[in-house]
Amino acid sequence: MIDAVERVTGRIRFSQDASLPGMLHAAAVRSVVPHGRIARVDTAAALEVPGVVAVVTGEDLRRLPGLRPVYGPQIEDQPVVALDRVRYVGDIVALVAAETPRAAQEAAALVTVEYEELPAVFDPLDALEPGAPLLHELEPERPHEGTALYFGIRPQFGTNCCNLFRIRRGDVARGFAEADLVLEETFRTPAIQHVAMEPHAALALWEDGRLTVWSGTQTPFNTRQILAGIFGLPVERVRVVVPPMGGSYGCKVFPRIEPQAALLAYVTGRPVKFVLRRDEEFVTLTRHATVVTIRLGLKRDGRITAREVRAYWNTGAYADCGPDVARKGGFGIVGPYRIPNVAVDSRCVYTNLPPAGAFRGYAVTQATWASESMMDLAADALGLDPLEFRLRNLLRDGETFATGETLHDVHFAECLERAAAAIGWEGPQRRELGDGRVRAKGLAVVMKGMTTPSRSEAKVGVDRSGQVTVYSSTVELGQGARTVLAQLAAEALGVPYQQVRVVDPDTDRTPFDNRTTSSRSTYMMGNAVRQAALALRERLLLAAAQRLEVEPADLELVDGNVRVAGAPASALTFGQLVEATGQEELVEHGEFRNQGGLDPDTGQGIASSHWHQGAGAVEVEVDTRTGKVTILHAHASVYAGQVVNWHTAELQNLGCIVFGVGSALFEELVYDQGQLVNPNLSDYLIPSFLDLPERMTHDLIERPGAEIHGLGETALPPIPAAVGNAVARAIGARVTELPLTPERVLRAIRARDGERG
Amino acid sequence: MEQTITVELNGERRALTVRTDATLLEVLRDGCGLASVRETCGIGICGACTVLVDGVPISSCLLLAPLADGCRITTVEGLSRGDELHPVQRAFIDQMAFQCSYCTPGMVLSAVALLAERPDPSPEEIAEYLAGNLCRCGSYPRILAAISDAARLMRQASR
Repeated sequence: MIDAVERVTGRIRFSQDASLPGMLHAAAVRSVVPHGRIARVDTAAALEVPGVVAVVTGEDLRRLPGLRPVYGPQIEDQPVVALDRVRYVGDIVALVAAETPRAAQEAAALVTVEYEELPAVFDPLDALEPGAPLLHELEPERPHEGTALYFGIRPQFGTNCCNLFRIRRGDVARGFAEADLVLEETFRTPAIQHVAMEPHAALALWEDGRLTVWSGTQTPFNTRQILAGIFGLPVERVRVVVPPMGGSYGCKVFPRIEPQAALLAYVTGRPVKFVLRRDEEFVTLTRHATVVTIRLGLKRDGRITAREVRAYWNTGAYADCGPDVARKGGFGIVGPYRIPNVAVDSRCVYTNLPPAGAFRGYAVTQATWASESMMDLAADALGLDPLEFRLRNLLRDGETFATGETLHDVHFAECLERAAAAIGWEGPQRRELGDGRVRAKGLAVVMKGMTTPSRSEAKVGVDRSGQVTVYSSTVELGQGARTVLAQLAAEALGVPYQQVRVVDPDTDRTPFDNRTTSSRSTYMMGNAVRQAALALRERLLLAAAQRLEVEPADLELVDGNVRVAGAPASALTFGQLVEATGQEELVEHGEFRNQGGLDPDTGQGIASSHWHQGAGAVEVEVDTRTGKVTILHAHASVYAGQVVNWHTAELQNLGCIVFGVGSALFEELVYDQGQLVNPNLSDYLIPSFLDLPERMTHDLIERPGAEIHGLGETALPPIPAAVGNAVARAIGARVTELPLTPERVLRAIRARDGERG
Repeated sequence: MEQTITVELNGERRALTVRTDATLLEVLRDGCGLASVRETCGIGICGACTVLVDGVPISSCLLLAPLADGCRITTVEGLSRGDELHPVQRAFIDQMAFQCSYCTPGMVLSAVALLAERPDPSPEEIAEYLAGNLCRCGSYPRILAAISDAARLMRQASR
């Protein structure tokens, strides 16, 4: 990585490290009830705390003229501070700004709030029952204040469903009628948390009616737009600067704490920094808990005739990007298989729990858990080998997916075969060790889309000193964006990549980018950077051709010089060429778009301009006396198309496997009546050195001339499903709910043996 | 209440006036500007705030600053001499043993302490010793390799 020295010496500065003279510190007062009307907020004692400058309640917010107090990327349903109602334990009821973090925390603890409690609902199926308490009064669009706006989604008005995404392809009734065998099963996943090591941190400053926010966010331009919406400003009067992040994995997608920091700065007239405590992280954003029922129609020969899916995504109290999660999960749940008749109803549902949103894998981990567990159930019911059953049904090049789009550059079968071979699938798939321990193998395939449509722009410049600079709004969150973008620019310009500077995203300086999500950046931004760098190369070649009085085709770029091919003496430095133009810096622009989109009522169209493809395979050991699962070997095979940087690419695969292990074996947010009972790293476990599979291996599959395929997520979703399939094979019973804790595995063994759980 | 403590911080003798209820983490990070000392869990589980106190890796979020009075404290800022990196840091770069690198200073310091105790640790010993340092990006296999490399280089250098 080009910033490796900064990183190992601790000199790198995250948004948590940002500071300004005269800066205040924020703290939040949070709801202790899952659903209630705010009867009274008493801030008197808090205001007495030395160092406290302001306490802002919903009533204060309401009184501020010209502000739009609610926001949200897809439905504007989340208040900056609760206005009259709280909707989950952890909802922000008041904000404090004080001279020190301690004074802010102390004052926040002294704010007393009285609630009139309302009935609460926590399960998405309960939340859809008639008479269930409604979280929001969503109504068809009314263009005045306080009304939600919907961006291409289908809320079911008068219910807690904030998006219903459907796929309708073929005729499922006919498909089931044609089937020899129909299976149905329901699968569940819990809410889990990202646990980025660096918490959310933002610093807000108002100067001359202009707002600047420094924040570790994956979405600088969305954040700018949403902040502008809240404060009634044109977007040009909001600037978002993004320092590198100490991890995100989706939790820093869309505004989280920026509106609150900006509000306090607005009210106090001073810069305000807001850094969340770890327990607050746990109630700020989660991965959607899911309930998914799949019905599958099968022919004896292993063909799939129909697939019907009902999926429920528990999005918590505010929609965030849940509606889109339900959409992407809705097509992700079909799986990369040839199925003529498909019906999917995927619902995003409000409940009185912390909001759920983007999470590495973006719906596809939950979708794959259900879909690939179902594939093994089907293989067992047909008496087919799970590998063979999948290979008969996997989509091949030129075939049509459930959305009606034709797939190209298809490698699902290759990924799966390589993963299976890596763990020795051909050998025994199940083996008893004789002392209650059983070893078994499992497989899973993954198909994941990339945000479509979307757009990335970049600029690449060279100045009089010869310094090459990339201006890009792709954020650095540990994936190595700075390095990879530097490499792509360097390659086009014939300079060592270590000498390329990459400017951190700054909406005033770096051009537009959709966002750093969905494993899109190396491909989308990479292409924009490449384009800009190639344009700059042309310009340098033309300038040199004029000076050297040769044809551009006779020139070459070597180490920051342009010279006549093979004639080092003719070399002109980039700096000399820039100087000759009379400009300080020559800058070229690049832009890359992908096109598509789906009809929300039929799911037909283009879901993704290209597909992330992969497979996972594991061997586990289950101790049937204790239910403990040990992963002996985990392998991921991922289609990369073209690898730009092997180091960072491998780290993505390894990181995904480790994430998958946590999700498979122990990560789970546990709620009691809406109160999170494990909001700390003692009770909520993430993988440590001692939790790793004994062996972790992976492949990156390349093809000459292929498009770059992003690698940030692909290897994660198949891991929990492969572990689940291996455990099912080991114990001869299926655990349908993640994580695969010893308790759940033991219960499944006892149920198999007909004992009472 | 405040109290003045004397410490040797990264090789430099310092008198620090601290609140009696301040953690060492707060004092190093906010008082001394050592931004490599980072809080993640705040309860001594994750190792992101690891510093060496008299050579022993501790979670600075759990140690009250007054208790560090008279101690020698090393943060990652004190490991490298100018541009010359510590062999463990060098090995982390060579193995690319990080992604977001938020946990890296704590990992490096724990590794330095391990290698001072055990110059030739097995992979199992490394994993056991660093079990209290969490890396959410999952760079663990590279970190293990880096520490093994550093151990070898340091043994060769001391021969």
